[in-house]
Amino acid sequence: MSGEMAFVSCTVNSVTQEFHVRPEEMLIDVLRDRLALTGTKLSCDLGACGACTVLLDGKPVSSCATFAWQTDGMNVRTVEGLAAANGALDPVQQAFIENSAFQCGYCTPGMIMLARALLDRDPSPDRETIRVWMGANICRCTGYEMIIEAVEKAALIPLETGK
Amino acid sequence: MNEMSANLDVVGHDTVRKDAVPKTTGAATYTVDVSFPGMLHAKVLRSPHAHARVTSIDASKVRGMPGVHAVVTRDDLDGLNPTYGYFIKDQPIVAMDKVRYIGDTVAAVAAETELQAVAALEQITVGYKILPTVATVEEAMAETAPELFEEEPMGVVPAYGQGASGARRLGRNNCYRFSYETGDEAAFDRCDHIFEDRFVFSRDQHFHLEPFVTVARMDGDVIEIWSSTQNPFPLRKELARVFQYPENRIRVRVPYLGAGYGAKNNCKTEPIAILLARLSGKPVRFCMTTEENFLTQSQHAAILDVKTGVMADGTFVARSGHILLDSGAYSDASPLVAEKAGYRLPGPYNWQHLNIDCDCILTNTTPAGPYRGFGGTQASWASESQVDIIARALGRDPLDLRMQNVKNLGEAYVPGESGIDSDLRAGLKVVADRVGYEARSRGDGRGMGVSIGFKDAGGVNKPSQARIRITTTGGVYLECGAIEIGQGIHTAMSQIVAELLNTQLDRVVYPELNTDYTPFEQGTNASSAIIGTAQAVQQAALVAKQKVLEFAARELDCGIDEIELDDWSIRKGNDAHPLAPMIMGYYGGTGYEFTGAGFFKPELDHAAPLESQCVSWEFGWGAAEVEVDRETGLIRLLQLVVSGDAGRAINPLVCRGQDEGSAVMGLTGVLFPCMVYDGAILMNGNGLDYRVPLATDIPDGFVSILQEQGHGPGPFGSKSIGEGCMLPVASAIANAVEDAIGVRIRELPLTPERVLAAIDEACG
Repeated sequence: MSGEMAFVSCTVNSVTQEFHVRPEEMLIDVLRDRLALTGTKLSCDLGACGACTVLLDGKPVSSCATFAWQTDGMNVRTVEGLAAANGALDPVQQAFIENSAFQCGYCTPGMIMLARALLDRDPSPDRETIRVWMGANICRCTGYEMIIEAVEKAALIPLETGK
Repeated sequence: MNEMSANLDVVGHDTVRKDAVPKTTGAATYTVDVSFPGMLHAKVLRSPHAHARVTSIDASKVRGMPGVHAVVTRDDLDGLNPTYGYFIKDQPIVAMDKVRYIGDTVAAVAAETELQAVAALEQITVGYKILPTVATVEEAMAETAPELFEEEPMGVVPAYGQGASGARRLGRNNCYRFSYETGDEAAFDRCDHIFEDRFVFSRDQHFHLEPFVTVARMDGDVIEIWSSTQNPFPLRKELARVFQYPENRIRVRVPYLGAGYGAKNNCKTEPIAILLARLSGKPVRFCMTTEENFLTQSQHAAILDVKTGVMADGTFVARSGHILLDSGAYSDASPLVAEKAGYRLPGPYNWQHLNIDCDCILTNTTPAGPYRGFGGTQASWASESQVDIIARALGRDPLDLRMQNVKNLGEAYVPGESGIDSDLRAGLKVVADRVGYEARSRGDGRGMGVSIGFKDAGGVNKPSQARIRITTTGGVYLECGAIEIGQGIHTAMSQIVAELLNTQLDRVVYPELNTDYTPFEQGTNASSAIIGTAQAVQQAALVAKQKVLEFAARELDCGIDEIELDDWSIRKGNDAHPLAPMIMGYYGGTGYEFTGAGFFKPELDHAAPLESQCVSWEFGWGAAEVEVDRETGLIRLLQLVVSGDAGRAINPLVCRGQDEGSAVMGLTGVLFPCMVYDGAILMNGNGLDYRVPLATDIPDGFVSILQEQGHGPGPFGSKSIGEGCMLPVASAIANAVEDAIGVRIRELPLTPERVLAAIDEACG
């Protein structure tokens, strides 16, 4: 409990949010505790496992290792904000569902956000690119192959427009 | 053994998992997501010493600190049975007389925020008298070693049948010994060759991404918890004993589990959360950190001495073995892991004589407990490594030697035991063909190895109950205690029920587990759900279906054999009779629910070594190709081919995920550092320093092949698939290393240092 509260104004899943946060408050705590966006999961709390991955201005970050004040003026996207306005799931979500690319599901929101960031910058990555990119996050259940295949498939599904 | 059933509508199809949408949209609720207004947060004070007598604890400064509502030390345990454990009740909720490892729980605080709780812990003063430490099993077994327990903790030895026995405290820090013997020891005298080898097995941590977590509150006089647990009913029983509370006033609720791999059996966060909730009168959440997970549960490191006698023609004759399991500081599941490691050491081969002891040795390290493979991983590592050693010594191909000695389909594993329910030779051929074993090119540091990972499946004498309820409009409640831990059991069970009731999959719902309502289940572990629980579910569905048909036949005034159930209509000849109006016509407009109950338990059988025959046998066939750099000692995994036998795959895609996931988990103990101890200090117990396999660690040549041999005891001939493919990984790779460079490494993990040392030794 040190220092002054910081004022933060950011966009979370297309909705403007304003907070006074403590300097040491992490983004994941704001998402989970204040906004009830519990799809983002905390695990290692060291920025290593990627379970808490969200997109900050489109870039994947560990929300456990991002201070809440760092998001001021930025655009935060979580797994809850992936579906299109008409409710259609994101191609990554669709592909994870069709390919059964999850098991316990705890890493899945982070994996999906990581894959979304990849496809946003490279809409048709090759398998090796996917493997290297997805190597940033830990999944202890699947052995990764079905995740990699889901990302390959997601690249083939057209993104819904009009978000 | 069932034959494969053809023409199934739901079973055998890659239907979308029942948990797919919640888990991909963030809507799935896990215990970490459970929250209540006014909920407190628990933190525990952990021992900085590996072994010490607790001379004093003063928590007086904590009471009254900002936000602090409850404190627990050894002075707050009145009226409780304050120790828990599987067979041996040796682990205290908080330290009483001693602490036994770095991280042992000393005190707990519940406060309004986690930070307040952490601040409060710093104000607790503990006096320690440091005691000598035993960090390894060798140190712990020394004659002069300090004992972790000077007095025998309360506990029991389970009953065993033919040839098996258990014993306690046979030596210093020995908390349990399992023994199994069959046949005449003189068989060794007839052998042409005797092989004696020592193998060392690494110690992985489960690294489940959802930590150990419980939310507890008092609901009137009911203790209510939400917990990330694999075995809520045994947990409820243990909590009832600890808190001296009626079982039916303890309610355990289990949301989705962020995995467990064995770790989430029995008491972890539950006792402290409950105790703090009772003391504070408020809901309490106790969620560990990843660092604390490492201080709570691990796999068993092991030393395995294996002696095997064979004939000159390669026929296996006799095997004896002595296994030492590093149990860590408390007995936990060690007696059970010892039973399985010892019992599985023979592997699926023919023997005239077996004599195996498995000792559990307490050390001042993290308590070891259930871990996927459950002793079978350790046993398969030693057994399948030695098969290759024998083959090379006899000038035989390791694959051929296995083909010569494996048990036939249907052959009893050992006297009194059930028959092997997979064709082992067919399974081995699948992976050998795929990896290209026969035509392999050697030299340039390349080589291939094969292995048969082996375990029994279904646990021991394990009961399951199930209930099916069908509403007036044909909605199906599937009620059983198999927990969705990631393996896809909600989906598989629902497919089985939809198939049996000839209805659509989306009519079946699988309510969240609540011990107040859910039928009893001993636990989601031991690869038991599809071969045990599913049999109870199958029976329940068939009973409910029969009631529906009997009702409809009565209403339609015809014989039951004249009608069929068809998606909640009754088909009679060419006519369809919807059930809903028929039901409301008889039972009234609000309708009715048809219910069916099911039960499964293997028969008690004193002639079976473990007091009931194993329900099934789970295999993972593995083949590896490696390239070894003789200069750096680095092993490059080029191919890893694994295959399990699902009997009949209820959902092939989900089965594939099980095979691949378990194989990659098995890689951790082979090519990664695992838990590194400096004495009794864990050096890498956090998410950053601990390396588990990443996507980038998986070779392009990683392939799983799902077999459906059709001999399983589960519905439609299904078999367990969750653990098999982790079992052959270590030995297949070590066998490939020897194929590649001619040196045998007997200690895991296969680090470059060990490879270089083995090369040096071979050259020297």
